[in-house]
Order: sequence, then structure tokens, then C-alpha cells
Amino acid sequence: MNRRFLLVGLLVVIALVAAPLVMSQSLINAGIQMLIASLFACAFSLLCGQAGMLSFGHSAFFGAGAFATVHAMDAMGGAGLLPTPFMPLVGAVTGLLVGLVAGWFATKRTGVYFAMITLAIGELLYALAPHLSGWFGGEAGLSTMRMPAFGLSFADNVQVYYLTLAWVLLCLGLLYLFMRTPLGRVALGLRENTHRMRFFGYNVHVASTLVFAISTMFSGVAGALQAINIESANYVIFNLDLSAQVLLNSYIGGVTYFLGPAVGAALMSFFGYVVSDLTTSWLLYQGLLFVLVMLFMPRGIAGLVHAVAQALRRCGFARLWRAFALYLGATALLVAGTTFLVELLQRLFSQDYRALSQIGGNAWPDIPLFGASWAPLSVLTWLLPVLLLTAGIWLLARAARHWRRALALAAPDDDSPATTGGGRLVSGASS
Amino acid sequence: MNPVALSLRDVHKSFGDVDIINGVDLDLIAGERHALIGPNGAGKSTLFHLISGQLSLTRGTIYLGDQRISGLTPERVNRLGLARSFQITNVFPKLSVFENLRLAVMRQHNLQYVFWRGIEGQHAVREETEALLEQLHLMARAGTLATELSYSEQRALEIGVVLASHPQVILLDEPMAGMSREESAYAVDLIRKVTHGKTLLIVEHDMDVVFELSDRISVLVYGRIVATGTPAEIRANAEVKEAYLGEEVA
Amino acid sequence: MDYFIVSLLNGLIYGLLLFMVSAGLTLVFGMMGILNFAHASFYMLGAYAAYALQPVIGFWWAVVVATVLVGGVGVVTERYFLRPVHKYGHAHELLLTFGLSFIIAELVKLFFGNYPVNYRVPQALSFSAFHVGPSAYPFYRLLIGLVAIAMFVLIYLLLTRTRVGIIVRAAIRRPAMAGALGHNVPVVFMAVFGVGAALAGLAGAIAGAFYTTSPNMAIELAVMMFVVVVIGGLGSLEGALLASLIIGLSTSFSVGVDVSLAQVLAYVGMGDWARGIGGLLTLKLSSLSGTIPYALMLLVLLIRPYGLMGAKE
Repeated sequence: MNRRFLLVGLLVVIALVAAPLVMSQSLINAGIQMLIASLFACAFSLLCGQAGMLSFGHSAFFGAGAFATVHAMDAMGGAGLLPTPFMPLVGAVTGLLVGLVAGWFATKRTGVYFAMITLAIGELLYALAPHLSGWFGGEAGLSTMRMPAFGLSFADNVQVYYLTLAWVLLCLGLLYLFMRTPLGRVALGLRENTHRMRFFGYNVHVASTLVFAISTMFSGVAGALQAINIESANYVIFNLDLSAQVLLNSYIGGVTYFLGPAVGAALMSFFGYVVSDLTTSWLLYQGLLFVLVMLFMPRGIAGLVHAVAQALRRCGFARLWRAFALYLGATALLVAGTTFLVELLQRLFSQDYRALSQIGGNAWPDIPLFGASWAPLSVLTWLLPVLLLTAGIWLLARAARHWRRALALAAPDDDSPATTGGGRLVSGASS
Repeated sequence: MNPVALSLRDVHKSFGDVDIINGVDLDLIAGERHALIGPNGAGKSTLFHLISGQLSLTRGTIYLGDQRISGLTPERVNRLGLARSFQITNVFPKLSVFENLRLAVMRQHNLQYVFWRGIEGQHAVREETEALLEQLHLMARAGTLATELSYSEQRALEIGVVLASHPQVILLDEPMAGMSREESAYAVDLIRKVTHGKTLLIVEHDMDVVFELSDRISVLVYGRIVATGTPAEIRANAEVKEAYLGEEVA
Repeated sequence: MDYFIVSLLNGLIYGLLLFMVSAGLTLVFGMMGILNFAHASFYMLGAYAAYALQPVIGFWWAVVVATVLVGGVGVVTERYFLRPVHKYGHAHELLLTFGLSFIIAELVKLFFGNYPVNYRVPQALSFSAFHVGPSAYPFYRLLIGLVAIAMFVLIYLLLTRTRVGIIVRAAIRRPAMAGALGHNVPVVFMAVFGVGAALAGLAGAIAGAFYTTSPNMAIELAVMMFVVVVIGGLGSLEGALLASLIIGLSTSFSVGVDVSLAQVLAYVGMGDWARGIGGLLTLKLSSLSGTIPYALMLLVLLIRPYGLMGAKE
């Protein structure tokens, strides 16, 4: 099992390395963003999924890393404190130091209190930052330039892509190794039963602070990579939006799996890139997906893939293909229905529409959508999404029934996934 | 005269107006197995919480040997050599049995903050964890998640993580609760073996177990110790009978 | 003196408003162990619902209907969103409420636009109550405070003097026992959640007309609410009241204080040194007034981690 995952991992890395040769400029940019988001999500998940400490203010450390790097890039009259490829170290050190201080406060409490404290710390930074223009550049932010190093100009984004890729792979590797150190195991203990850890003699406050700081260290690296990429930093980075984004990404991907958050972040980044030009409601879709995952797929997309792989192993494809087809069909219908409804509503309530209805003679002009025109007062316009959604839900129920039947008919497994030598990359974080 | 391993002096605990522990004096002799019995609600678990540092005393002192432990945090108390089990199994549900024990063992080897070396390379930790698994007869279940163990296996694990702390004084809170006859006999055997040479304070309701296992017994009623003595003395004590059965039956 | 009186009134009223919204949050947390991130979203929904209904049925009816509507949303949320994930633990529930607050904010932006809306105090109510020195103190502000006080009194009486109240308090303290006694605890939970939501909605409907009504009002209030409960201690109604008033007063008083730490240090001859360092030391307190609640929270964490009135866990 382990070898299969290593093989897949190797293929993914090769694909990532080869990608810029076939990608357009804007796609390379999107790729850089995806990589940074993946690293940030995995760093976040160290605290959240592995140590069980839910943080709502992680953008503080991402931002701290970014700003420190911008300052470092500007240092020495613009020459930079370190050669460009080593700049992310600045982000790491900053993330670590800020995390030690913030974590010391935040880990004085556990559970929801901890979460609220991290939220407040993040908001505090967001409120203070615009006033400290020396550090954060006020409303306009700070900007800088990448300096050439080791014969590379870093002027074009292909080199930035490879720099980012190298650091992300390095950090992911380190994060994976961390899981297998004593402190990494302590993190799991903190998640599962903080109370009992005390009775083993652990100083829970110190241990939590250390784990917190390591998570923020890698978050700082992600911020540094962002600063290098866009050659600037602005205080809006401390906004709750970024903290919310990494949280949504991680849980949609699945925090109980090591690479789950990376998968979630990559997917969300990619969809955001593709879809955000087409719709202004991208965040709404993301929120809906998140809530659906929380309700129906608590282990995220990685969990879904794992469950499917397990089912395939038990039942074989022949028994499952019908259920697969039904599930795909149901998903397509539900996505179509939801998208249609949301886009229709969005246009109906937009300022442009209101202006249009006042200018023209018609109070309810037709709405152009997906190549056709839809009359808002017509029943058919609203019937369509209702039908799509209803059909989707009906199909979903049938798919679930087929799936259950296939699993019930199959020969039972003799062990749960944790006791078979399940690929560490998949279930490593939970065992 | 054997030294006193654990000593409680005039221990009081109140929650607001409610007095749970009303002046407990108790001395545990080093190496003895001491049972704490009493009707439900007498305060036995509260006493454990006080000794282990989970609750603070309203009045009184607790000494572990020469060291005062009343007022210390549970971490400090554990590091000084006292470990306790819980009445309701309190382990790490989604971690394997091996991992559960290893967490306790790791702390003993002072590895808790190490993040620059892998855990797999720590052979001493692995050996000790495996030794514990052997003692508890859980070797075959090493990779099973704690939440998937049978009830008595969980109780065995509960005892196991206590032992991993190398305590000199062990507190067991109803280790046999919910076990069948065979499981109980098995557990008694296990406890007898693993507490050899250590001081044991055990709360139990099963009187056969209590009389079989203990050197001395103390009876706690409404937060006070009404009697302390050998099993024979306690069996003959009228006040004890009254506490359990109400009015003495002629 | 005028400054003092005005700041005092403003601070008290803002504090009461904070309390009006945090009270429901604290009750729900004490009862169900979940921190409802979407609670502030209920506040926002109340404001927007009242805004949408005001041109149709007038201000007061809009407030009433908005309150009931938001209460209904609360009931639906508890029944269909929170109950199914109860089995996954508190962190999961918290995340779900976070997701819901996200969706509600996006829906508000979709229907009403990503900018503040013109929800205003009706003409009939926008007069001044009295004069403090040269400036007029608006009656509506007092109304907000009065509604908060009335609500608190009502809830207190309901909980302590009625049979329903006793059942609710029992369900909060010992849900299993209350269930064993034959009370329909899930219904009680749903009802308390709904009432908590309705209160937040009422607060929004009333306050939204005075303060800004925008899609950001939820998150701004949410953070402040969380600071309140950390300082006051979750589960403690008295703690929430005390913390709300402290935050209200300190924010209100600091807004007019144009003094920086450097200026204070100047009195001991360190003014130039402080100004040389710059940064935080030269910032005026008035600019920092928004950050004082956070500073208070961190201070409380240092000195009394369980909050001013919280109990040790």
C-alpha cells in the first residue's frame, strides 16, 4: 500500500515539475497560488487536524511572514537580507516567533475558547496594522522587488514557480516527518485527550505552544512565498477572509488525512481561478460546499476518496459502477440546479438589473443566462431549477441505496483500515 | 516500621455550601495494597481527584513521602511518582493501543518536546512499550484503535497507561467496574502482579476482590473515614455494616 | 463634564446592546456546549429583515415580524443543521455554524448588495431626548438601551418565575435528567435556540436602524461577542453583562481621548525617546479605541484565564 502511494506521489511531483512547460502565463500564476494555498492549508491542519486546536486567526502568521519578507527583500538598500531563494527563511523565523507569543496566550485555554482567542488576535492585528505604517505600509501596503541570485534573474514567473514548488515540497516533507517525531505524537495526544495528558506528566501548555509555533512557522513560509510571488504585502491580508479561506480549504479536503488539506486547497484554488471570472457568487458556492461537507462528508474529499478506494477493494468495480453513475448524475443535476438558481437570483437582485428595469419600459426585463433569456415572472424560469434539484436529490437517494446494497453483498473485510497497513500518506495523521 | 508512602491530613473539600470530604486522615504504608470502600456518593472519586491534583483542597494537606503534593498541578504530582486510573476509561480513542501506551512511555523518557528526531528511532521507548503490551496481554491488539477494544481490554489499557509512568504510588478507581467473574479474576491477577513492590490505593465495590487483594481497608462514609484495618477487622466492624446496610439486622 | 456624560451614556447603551446579543449566545453555550458562530448572523438577518419590511408594514411591525422570522431561522438551524452533526463533537458543530455564518453573509450580499443599506430610524423616532451641554442626545439611542433592559428583565422573569422557565433551566443544567423526567428536551433545545436567535434578531432590527446595516456587521459583532464571553466567562449571564458594560464604556471613553503613550511619557521626560521609537507609542488612544477590547481580553487571559466570573472547567 505504501509503495502505491509513493508511486502516485512521484507522478504528481513529476507532473508539477513538468507543468510550466505546457501552461500559459496565467495558469502558471494560478499554479503558484495553488501551491502556496496547499502549504498554508497543511500548516494550518497541523494545528487543527493533528493537534485538535481550531484556529480562526491563522492569517496573522501568514501575513507576518509576508511582511517580514517584504522588509527583508527591501533591506540593505534593496539588495535583500538573503539571496532570493533563501528568503522564505525570514517567513519561517517570523512565523515561529510571532507564533510562540500568540500561542502562549491562546493555548492558555482549550476548545472553543482557544478558537475565539485566535479569532480575536487575528482581528487585533487587522485593526492595528493600518495604523502602523512603518511596519505595514498603511492603506497602500508595501512593495518590493525580487533580486537575482545564483545566476537566476527571478524576473519571470516560471522561476518563481520552481522556487515555490521547491519550498512547498520541502515544507510538506518536513511536516510529514514532524508527524513521526515525539512532539508530533504528543500533538495527537493533545487532540484525543488533553486532560489525560496532564496525568502522564505532560506540561500541556508548553507542548501546545510548541506545536502552535511550528504550525505558524510553516504558515510564515507560505506568506513569504506569497510576498516573493506578488512582490508586495498589504494589511488586508490580516482580514478574516484569508483565515476563513484556509479553514474552508482544509476541511473540504479533510483534516484527518495528511494531504487532505493540500488537496482541498488545490481544488478550491483551481476552481476559484476558473470560476471567479464567470460568477460573483463564488464564495457562496464555497460556503455551500463547506456546509455540505460538514453535514454529509465529515472526513472531506480525501475521506471520500479513501472510502471509495476501500469500497472498490471490497466489492470490485463491476458491482459499484451503477452506483457511481447514479452519484455522478445526481451531482451533475444538483450542481446545475444550484448554479442556475444562484446565478438567476444574483442577477435579479443586482444593481445592474434594477437600473435596467428602471430605464426600459419593462419592470421585469429578461435575464440572459447560459445562452438563453429567462423571464423572471414566468413560472418555467423557476420550475427549471426546482426540477433539477428535485431530480438530483431523488437520484442521490437511489445512488445511496445501490451503494449500500453493493457493500452489503460483498464479502466483509476482516480488519478496519487502521489495522491493515493502510498507506501512511492517507491515514497517517489519524494513527 | 515501613515508611509512609502517601499521607492525608485533615483533608476537606467543599463545593460552595456542599461538603464532600469532611476531614480525612489516611496513611498508606509503602508497599501495601490499600482498598477504599464505602457507599455510593461517599466521596471516593473526589478523594482521588484531590490526591492527583485535579481538584484543590479546601483545607488540609497531602504528602507523597516527604513531598507535599496538595496544591500541585496534576503534571507535577505525576512526575513526583503518583499515577491514577479513571473510573470511566479515559484513554485516547482514535489512537492504537500501542500509541496510547507509547504516549505515556515517551513522557517518562523526557521526549515530550523533541521534534528533531523520529520516534521510531527511540528503541528504549519501543521496547518498554512492547514490554507493557506483554504484561497487559494486549500484544495481539497493539494496532487496534482504543475505541474498538472490548470493555475489559479497555480497562486493561487504562491500567497500562498508569503503569507506564513508573509510579511509586498507584491509584486505581474501580478498575473492575462492569467486568464479569472471569474478567475480574483475570484483572485481579494482573493488578497483583504489576503492583508488586509498589503502593496501591484501590477503590472497588466488589467485596470479594477487596478482601482478596488488600492488606488493609479504609471505609469512607459521607466524606469521613469511619474505620481502617485489616480485612478481618473491617468484616467484623459494626459501624461499617451499618453504613452499608442501614440498621443492623439482629 | 458633557463629554463624560455623553460617553457614559453611549458606553452603557453599546454595552447593553452587546449584552442583548451575547446573552443568547451564552445561554445556548451553557445549554448545548456549542458556540454558535452564526449568532451574530441572526443579528444581521434581523436588521436586514426589518429593513426590507419597513417600507411595506411600517417600522414597528417590521421589527416584530423580523424578530419572529429570525427566531424561525434559528429553529430550522438547530433542527436541520446542528442536530445531525451533534455526534461529531463540539469542534464540528462550531465549524458548521461558521459555515452557516459564511453562507448567510454571502446570501445577504447576493440579495442586498455588498455595501451598507439605507436602513434608517423612522422620522417619528429621530428626535432628541435631552440636551447635554450644546449637543442633543438622540432618543433612539436611549430606546436601544431600554429595549435591552426590558428584554433582560423579561428573560430573567421568564426563567425564574414561570414553570416553562424552570423546565428550561433544568434542561440546561441536566439535559439527561430532564429528559428522564419526561420533558421533551430536544424541543426545549430547539425553543431556546430559537428564542436566542429571535433576541439577536430583535437587537439587529432595533440597532441596525441606528448603526450601519451592512454585510460586515455580523463578523464585526461576532468578534466583539467572543471577546465578551472570554472576558466574562462563558455560561455566565452576569459575566456577560459585566464584560459587555466594561467593553462598551472603555470603547466609548477612549474614542475621544486624543492622547498617545508618548505624550504620557513626556511627563516623565521620556517623550522624545518614545517619539523616536514611533509606532505604537505615538498612536493616539482614539485611533486605537477599536483594539481596546482585544487588549482587555489578553489582559484577562493573563490574570484570570477563566474570565471575570467564569468557573474553573
